[in-house]
Amino acid sequence: MTIVAARSGWFTQTSQVLRRWLIVVMRQAWGPVMSLVQPVIWIVLFGHVFSAVGALPAFGSSSYVAYLVPGILMMTVLYSGAWAGTGFIDDIGSGVMDQYLTSPVSRSAIISGQLAQQLIINLAQSVVVLGIGWLAGARYPGGPTGIAASIAVATLLAAIFCCCSSAVALTTRSQIALISLSQLVVLPATFLSTTMMPASLMSGWVGTVARWNPMSWAVELGRGGLTGSYPDAAWWHAGGLAVLAALAFLWAVRAIRSYQRTV
Amino acid sequence: MPENHPAHPAHPAHPTGTAAPAITARNLVKTYPGRGRRPAVRALDGLSLTVPTGCVFGVLGPNGAGKSTTIRILTTLSRPTDGTATVGGHDVGRAADAVRAAIGYVSQGTSTDPLLTAVENLEIAGRLRGVGPAAARMRARVLLEEFGLGDAARRPVRTFSGGMRRRLDVAAALVHRPSVLFLDEPTTGLDPEARAAMWAEIRRLSSQSALTVVLTTHYMEEADRLSDRLALVTRGRVVARGTPAELKAALHGDSLRVTLIEPDPVVVRAAVGPLPGLRDVVVETSGVDGVLAARTDNASTAVGAVISALDAAGVRYGQVAASHPTLDDVYLHFVGHTFAGAQVAPATGPADPTSRNSEKGTAA
Repeated sequence: MTIVAARSGWFTQTSQVLRRWLIVVMRQAWGPVMSLVQPVIWIVLFGHVFSAVGALPAFGSSSYVAYLVPGILMMTVLYSGAWAGTGFIDDIGSGVMDQYLTSPVSRSAIISGQLAQQLIINLAQSVVVLGIGWLAGARYPGGPTGIAASIAVATLLAAIFCCCSSAVALTTRSQIALISLSQLVVLPATFLSTTMMPASLMSGWVGTVARWNPMSWAVELGRGGLTGSYPDAAWWHAGGLAVLAALAFLWAVRAIRSYQRTV
Repeated sequence: MPENHPAHPAHPAHPTGTAAPAITARNLVKTYPGRGRRPAVRALDGLSLTVPTGCVFGVLGPNGAGKSTTIRILTTLSRPTDGTATVGGHDVGRAADAVRAAIGYVSQGTSTDPLLTAVENLEIAGRLRGVGPAAARMRARVLLEEFGLGDAARRPVRTFSGGMRRRLDVAAALVHRPSVLFLDEPTTGLDPEARAAMWAEIRRLSSQSALTVVLTTHYMEEADRLSDRLALVTRGRVVARGTPAELKAALHGDSLRVTLIEPDPVVVRAAVGPLPGLRDVVVETSGVDGVLAARTDNASTAVGAVISALDAAGVRYGQVAASHPTLDDVYLHFVGHTFAGAQVAPATGPADPTSRNSEKGTAA
């Protein structure tokens, strides 16, 4: 028996890394289940707590739940994306990362394979969030195209945060540092955005921050997709998110290279 | 002498002729920068090695000697601060991917995901290294059978015992048929039975003449039994090299060991120092007890003389033993303190000869 071990292509490497992470997800079923329970709680919780606020004219004519759903959609991918790096920290601790780094596997394939797994999870979560929203009374006049657009934006936002999380994980190599840093970013990113409230209702600087917050861009694009009426700067915001995703990906690949330089 | 050792120590078990060496390392230096109050560490201090193709090469030394750092550089995981190295003819810095394609690496950590089954781990490892889908499946099955893991092939690795995991790690490092296999302390943490099983696997691998195995260990016995050639490493340098038999033969005569009870090293040295026929006298203490080690051409007369001298000086002693040289004695000769002493106080700091935890004195 002879085996010709030619160097495998980038796509093969990425799909094998993805295969590993997908098996891990399947065997840790509580992870995805919990991440699906979370948006249910948010929609029910925020929907009720803020329902009176939704009567304000700034929210337009639709129900507050309809206003909230795109916000929760983005929040869900943000929260689960922030955890993406933990897998790498486990790999560094166990020695699996050393195996990757001493094999002729492209560094970007290691990042991409894991990112693909995260995005698949996020896609499933997005569909579930929209389903729960529908059950809670929200309607999506944007139709299938609008829904697809909002899910695509959610995926883009997820890519940004997954890559940032991976980069931080590979740089700090500490679970605690990653968790505290994510908390530090995720909460302000959510509340200083139009996730739950339109910018016109926010006071002075908060409204300004919210307008320039990429989280708001994603939320407004998602809202535009679901309602069928996009904001004026939609293409600029979509482009901004795409650029951020590309930069975050490059940061993660750089982080895995510099990790190797310091061992 | 273990059966895998060559009959003629001057010739390695796998004659290499003029073939290019599997590994060369020249003057490797690795310093880790200090952080805060932690001083910088010079893990490698000009280490050089040549590993002939097809042999089992043992790198023996205490914890902190620089063995793992050497392996990390040779496997392209870490970059040397200075010096050069080639593996399979490829430079570890300039042709890292060519080196990576040629090697298998079993680190002190694991290489497998605990949630995946053994066969999934091996298949993915193979596919990542360029083995085709069908070949990877077949190779995984063959390797699991070879390593006695056939029955556990479809079980998640987290259910494996420590010994099974270690064997799977070695199998995973072989999926792509590397020409050089690095084993970094492959039996550390294994129980005696699992260690014996691992030794058997390494011997089996060493019979494949195309495979070069580099093995680090801090177990004397392991180095002695498994290696065709050895490098003795301490404080980031190679202090002795050769076949185990050559290294032992380099020490003439016998070695003498006396265990001491609550000794005063100064008194012991004063008592034994003037005795004729003793060389490489080392007195070491650990806790309340100690050991006196020396080399001699004539053990039978030396034992009597040493005992009389200790009695006269009022030094209490336990066991007295004289033996042919062991690797322990080789270590003592080159490093200047006993192997056990080095394990208690590993040399983690910069190479500084004054920080030794024992003193070496040569009797006249």
